[in-house]
Amino acid sequence: MAASKCTRLNGALTRQLLESVDSVLFDCDGVIWRGDQAIPGAPEVIKTLKKNGKRVFYVTNNSSKTRQMYADKLGKLGFDATEDEVFGTAYCAAIYLKTVCKVEGKVYLIGSNAMGQELEKMGIQQVGVGPDPISGVQIDWANVPLDNEVQAVLVGFDEHFSYMKLNRALQYLCNPECQFVGTNTDNRLPLEGGKAVPGTGCLLRAVETAAQRQAQVVGKPSNFMFDCVARQFGLNPDRCLMVGDRLDTDIMLGSNCGLKTLLALTGVSTVADAEANQMSECPQRQKMVPDYYIDSIADILPALDA
Amino acid sequence: MAGGSRGCVTLRGSQFQELLDAKHNVLFDCDGVIWNGETAVTGAPEVVRLLKQRGKRVFFVTNNCTRPRENYVQKFSRLGFTEVAEEEIFSSAYCSAAYLRDVAKVQGKVYVIACSGVIKELQDAGVPVVEEVGDEEPGTTIYNCPLDPDVKAVLVGYDENFTFMKLAKASCYLMNSDVLFLATDPDPWHPLRGGRITPGSGSLTAALETASSRKATVIGKPSRFMFECIASQFDLDPARSLMVGDRLETDILFGSNCGLSTMLTLTGVSTMEEAQKYKDSESLERKDCVPDYVVESIADFLEALEE
Repeated sequence: MAASKCTRLNGALTRQLLESVDSVLFDCDGVIWRGDQAIPGAPEVIKTLKKNGKRVFYVTNNSSKTRQMYADKLGKLGFDATEDEVFGTAYCAAIYLKTVCKVEGKVYLIGSNAMGQELEKMGIQQVGVGPDPISGVQIDWANVPLDNEVQAVLVGFDEHFSYMKLNRALQYLCNPECQFVGTNTDNRLPLEGGKAVPGTGCLLRAVETAAQRQAQVVGKPSNFMFDCVARQFGLNPDRCLMVGDRLDTDIMLGSNCGLKTLLALTGVSTVADAEANQMSECPQRQKMVPDYYIDSIADILPALDA
Repeated sequence: MAGGSRGCVTLRGSQFQELLDAKHNVLFDCDGVIWNGETAVTGAPEVVRLLKQRGKRVFFVTNNCTRPRENYVQKFSRLGFTEVAEEEIFSSAYCSAAYLRDVAKVQGKVYVIACSGVIKELQDAGVPVVEEVGDEEPGTTIYNCPLDPDVKAVLVGYDENFTFMKLAKASCYLMNSDVLFLATDPDPWHPLRGGRITPGSGSLTAALETASSRKATVIGKPSRFMFECIASQFDLDPARSLMVGDRLETDILFGSNCGLSTMLTLTGVSTMEEAQKYKDSESLERKDCVPDYVVESIADFLEALEE
């Protein structure tokens, strides 16, 4: 880890940094793509990193796609990527439920079909995916039939989120034995053009509030996302670089896991945000200061090509 | 005034009489205090009748926003509470409408995420509402849905028709810091009969607060506003007023916040153990949830009232 923090990455430093790591973990939104467009130069950076013998992984809090769907998107945008390099929260939540929660039965799912598919691959059946309109009166809602094989409630991004789904989750969570997992706490979806789309964090807060319980959260900044990659690929944190655009998720994850961290300014956080954290007395905020920052990951290319 | 080991007093015999003599106004929460679901708490209708006969003023202060006041009047009548007038009923729906019209004096429309009870109160108060049409045209997404430029406030309450689209629209409106953000009440869950619960306004408000990175102004208990609403219509001396409720974190805290004496009844949500825990706590904030008095049921007043 660098002795000084929040340093702009330049030519010489870039080479030094890359020599000190074997693996580079990239956040996706705001780092390698924005919406459905690759950040110019990003595919070349990744291709070149791999040519230089670095391993590359994609680590995203977005729960709406399976690993295969991500690999397809990456391919379409010109990135060199395989399914097993991708770690999204749909996949990691399924691993978490299987290995940490040790769920043997079913999961009540507020989330995407992709999340359902990842669960099924792990041998866990889901109930609840899709639209769920309200019917009947209040006392009916409190008495919805519950599937007694459900051992956990999992909340991810769900555009079909409704009062009825919130209600069902609440009824399951009234049983203290029923486990409660969320994919991530991001408040908003990354979006161009000024419209704010609520993120999974909002849905999770609704369920947590109704149930008066806290969810176990799988996504960044929780260590679990890194642990998933590290366990499968035998990574040494000292030799890993985390590249992200959000101080509170990507950089925090990097700090928590002892990785080197690089903030790309093509997304959410700014240098001013990072410096404000650096000046702060708060230990939590200190964890949200990157070792380095760069305008765009494309700027790494000259150092790589040299 | 909280402090030391004050509070949680169980009244006996003549103490009921002394309390009644000292209080001119009695404010009752409804769910868990005077009724549970569709069943009146035994003796409650008598208590209310006798209090009024004694010349006390009685008000009903409820966070439950699912009915307009005229429906509440019908419910009171149905459950055997005679002569409860609409003016005596203060629900968070009614008070939210009053707030928008009289305090915020909103010039424009209100985007409402709430049940028909709330919408009716807004309409009765003459507050223009943007109502969500049930079925969107196919293909409408948050990216292309129209936003009404006249929206000057967002109000969120209990809404069984809550959807992701409503959440998204409301958070778009709230991006403008001039748009007010109100919530009817903070209750995370709503009790029904038989100990069952359903998600409350508080859970929907939490979603919207997270989406907008803004905090809602909450009208319902424990916020002071509902008391101020009553006081603006009737002359109430807090020192001569008693708040009777079943939920420590809403009713009792509300009473403390408004300088009222407070009484916990054990016919609803909170327990004696919970009250005791607050009493034993070191935190000043938690002391505000300690009731002055505790009764098993408001029927415990009957003996003193019937004398």
